[in-house]
Amino acid sequence: MGIEFNVIEVLKEAVFGSLKSVWSIAIIVFPLMIVMEFARKYKVMDVISAGLRPLTRFLGVQRSAAFPLAVGLIFGLAYGSGVIIQSAQEGEIDLRSLTLVSIFLACCHAVVEDTLLFVAVGANGWLLLGLRTLAAFIVTMLVSKSVKLAYEAQ
Amino acid sequence: MNVFMSTLRDGTMKGLKTTWTLAKVIVPIYIIITILKYTPVIGWIAILFEPVMQLFGLPGEAAIAMVMGNLLNLYAGIGVMATLPLTMKQITIMAVMLSFSHSLLVETAVSKRVGVSIPMILSVRIGLAVISGILLNLTI
Repeated sequence: MGIEFNVIEVLKEAVFGSLKSVWSIAIIVFPLMIVMEFARKYKVMDVISAGLRPLTRFLGVQRSAAFPLAVGLIFGLAYGSGVIIQSAQEGEIDLRSLTLVSIFLACCHAVVEDTLLFVAVGANGWLLLGLRTLAAFIVTMLVSKSVKLAYEAQ
Repeated sequence: MNVFMSTLRDGTMKGLKTTWTLAKVIVPIYIIITILKYTPVIGWIAILFEPVMQLFGLPGEAAIAMVMGNLLNLYAGIGVMATLPLTMKQITIMAVMLSFSHSLLVETAVSKRVGVSIPMILSVRIGLAVISGILLNLTI
């Protein structure tokens, strides 16, 4: 009897706990997806990528890299990579910019969704976002320097 | 009006799809971990990983969340995190580490497609996770 009781209690804890976790994330994911869909339809990305111009200059990449950078930062690595591949095929982006943007995005992507997911379970969102962006910058700058050296050596 | 409504509908559908995707991962993982907590298995894993996890100020069980997050995706890592009794500092440390390094199987493949070498991407991402975990544990 005692064992049966425990099994039911454990299952109850497992089922209710898991649904509560899904709920706490769903209330963030729903509004987020709606806002992102509006951003996509109403070409907000063009405005944001224009705002990212100083970032591209700072990273030492071409201006045309701003759009894939913005898409990757906000929508995620898969979307960003899709845009990068497209830009590369159309010859809009050179190898150096392509490499640097890919490295930046590997460290730091989908910042809105990822940050909010962790905030939902109790993390410090500002610290998380700040550190992630800072680290992506440092890594990209370091690679940028070494790539530049490699080019100059030729 | 038409574009507005169709955008709202598309956004809601995407929200539904994402919630379904994360539910499919979080619910089974949460249930399995909760059941395992009543068995000695979790204790064995905790003891095994305690020396490593101590570097980041985390309990040994946190290793399960790290492994799940890195092999599967963030949802899986978060599903495990939700079952563990963690302080806000520990949650933030795990969040930062997992943000740098997650979904390595899928995302490394994506990065490789845009021409970044696999050893480079893995060492940068795992390196950032380890360094940030150690530094955060010492500073916050």
